[in-house]
Amino acid sequence: MIKQSSKISLFFKKHQKSLVFWGFLAPALLAFVFTIIIPFFLGLYYSFTDWRGFGTPEFIGFENYIRLFTAGGNESIRFIYSLIITFVFAAINIVLLNIISFSLALLVTRGLKFQNFYRVGFFLPNLIGGIVLGYLWKFIFNNVVPDVTLLASGESFLMLADRNTAILGISLTWGWQYAGYLMMIYVTAIQNIPQDIVEASEIDGAKFMQRIRHIMLPMVAPAFTVTLFLTLINSFKQFDVNFALTAGGPSTEFQGLSLWGTKLISMYILDTYQVSLRPALAQAQAVIFFIVLTVISVIQVQYNKRKEIEA
Amino acid sequence: MKKLGFFASSLLAVTALAGCGGSSDSIYMLQNKPEIDAALQAFAEAYTEETGVEMKVTSCGGDLCQLGTQLQADIAAGEAPDIFVIDGIPAYEQYEDMIADLSEEPWVEDTDVAFKVDGKVVGFPVAIEGWGMAYNKDLIDEFNALPGVTTIDVTELTNYDAYMEAFEALDAEKVALGIDSVVSMAGGAAGMSWVTNDHNFNSLLSAGLEYGDLSVVEDLLEGTVDRTRLGYYADWVNLLFTYADETVLRTGGYNEQVGAFAEEKAVFLHQGNWVEPFLGDAEATFARGFAPHGVFPASVQETDGIFVAAPSWYVVNAQAPEARQQLAKDFLTYMATTEAGHKYMVEEAGNIPAFKSVELSPTAPLSVSVQEWAAEGKIYSWNQYYFNGDFRYNELGPIYTRLANGEITPGQFETLMTIALEGYPDFLANL
Repeated sequence: MIKQSSKISLFFKKHQKSLVFWGFLAPALLAFVFTIIIPFFLGLYYSFTDWRGFGTPEFIGFENYIRLFTAGGNESIRFIYSLIITFVFAAINIVLLNIISFSLALLVTRGLKFQNFYRVGFFLPNLIGGIVLGYLWKFIFNNVVPDVTLLASGESFLMLADRNTAILGISLTWGWQYAGYLMMIYVTAIQNIPQDIVEASEIDGAKFMQRIRHIMLPMVAPAFTVTLFLTLINSFKQFDVNFALTAGGPSTEFQGLSLWGTKLISMYILDTYQVSLRPALAQAQAVIFFIVLTVISVIQVQYNKRKEIEA
Repeated sequence: MKKLGFFASSLLAVTALAGCGGSSDSIYMLQNKPEIDAALQAFAEAYTEETGVEMKVTSCGGDLCQLGTQLQADIAAGEAPDIFVIDGIPAYEQYEDMIADLSEEPWVEDTDVAFKVDGKVVGFPVAIEGWGMAYNKDLIDEFNALPGVTTIDVTELTNYDAYMEAFEALDAEKVALGIDSVVSMAGGAAGMSWVTNDHNFNSLLSAGLEYGDLSVVEDLLEGTVDRTRLGYYADWVNLLFTYADETVLRTGGYNEQVGAFAEEKAVFLHQGNWVEPFLGDAEATFARGFAPHGVFPASVQETDGIFVAAPSWYVVNAQAPEARQQLAKDFLTYMATTEAGHKYMVEEAGNIPAFKSVELSPTAPLSVSVQEWAAEGKIYSWNQYYFNGDFRYNELGPIYTRLANGEITPGQFETLMTIALEGYPDFLANL
């Protein structure tokens, strides 16, 4: 006859592996379910109602979604503008950030003196939180740059007063922080390129640009999949710097309507919830945002994976 | 096995203890004037010492934080404040279920400007406030002493033409006066659009009208726009923008705008007496007061007055536990009826009291000026809060900024404002 306590300890011993597995996974899994899965489906539900943030929501079907795409409606114009300006912002970032960070990565893998010091230096801005970063650069753009340009050329240059330069400003500010992180990814990839291939190509007389194009880029292709994906997704998710730097920015005109010109999609959704006080509409916007983002990232990763294989 | 049992039960105990939050001897107050934050915190601390009630006070306003946003976040987090602020009917309707009836409170009889809805009192008036064209008397005197100028008499600045002449004359002597611009005006930056689409917008609604006259408001609420009046208003806004410092106007924040006036880099400031604590901090000792407002051409109408009202009210959260509601009411009563409360309101926070029994008078120059204008009855009402906040910020705000950035002319400003205002009934219907 086996004693009760032995039965239990037998159970533990027999299933030790899976208990350990689930024991470690459970907290993270629970957190994921409670903070992501459940709110996601709740939000999906609310987007089909007229929820006001409190009280009981009433089911209204697709009305919120229709409102977002009704041609000529102000809500639709602003929402579409926000999506478009976020796309533009992402495109700028993908090009600008990756060129800069790849160049920096090349720079810090050439065996220069103090190379590690440069690597750390370029990476440091990454440690600053987004809001602080935004306020820091807001001060620079609003107080320092106008004074300097006034002295230099007699006219103050207000980076954040024009919609186009304001978007560039958000790009520069966020890029200043993020380029270091992307650089580290590229550095790792570059360091993994087999040296014998590079040496062989040098012996064969390949010039610098040819080496870059035909050897480095293909061998670094997996890193591009990662960095392009990160830049794309984080551009779309950008909020901290947007909020702190421009707060929605100078105004502009779109389809005949005057609206705030640098409200990227994340800030736009939050504003619809907190400033316009329309939570259900904000949820609908968030669902559409999710769909758009998923489609784009799947396309991007597929494309890059194909390029990887080709290379 | 025993170890597991011990562990499990202690985990349970800790969780149970963690559930006990929010003692019933504390209240959370959320208010929207960063200018009085220091004074209010000190007052709350003194209140805690006196009564033992813990006070948590958060100030959220200006250009870096919006009360509405913070309030929504707190409600969503289940930590709604016990006292918060509303500024008008739309805000009241938004939070109607959360606003307690204060009709039985002892201070109700002592004020004429409590917030009343359907015959019951729900709002405790924070202060009487005034805004308009604050001006630096010392700089005007300095200007008048310059050789060869036509002297400016500020009391005669009651119309557009007089202001235009004065601005031109002052602008010509910028270097001699050591100023960057004649007017310190903000509103271009999204966080400062409350200066344009709230305050300045109000001059369209009530300048030149009897106090409490809502005729313009009622027309606009129906989407009927008086284009002639709007045309004059567009010219007035354009005048302010033209003589404002470009950097402060287009990208400046609260600090930049008030700072320019405090440092005597501008003669006029488009703000209200609430900035006095900031001016005090900046050690601005120059003589100052409020000039009359201008808006219309001399041949159309004089506007010899400034805008004065009790524009915001403290409300008590009706959904908080009864005990906390009572503590909140007690705090407000303490503020309105005790000497310490009066001293805080008038001397520390620099507010013009909204309660008749208060014998103290503020000493800050702009507050004194507001009281003088009010005593002479030369005041216009604050009506912008009859309009939905989202509409003011998202529909009207960008139009002002486009004018400030030179993207549109005053004529186009008028057209765009007309289109936006005519669409107001539709906007409300779509909410």
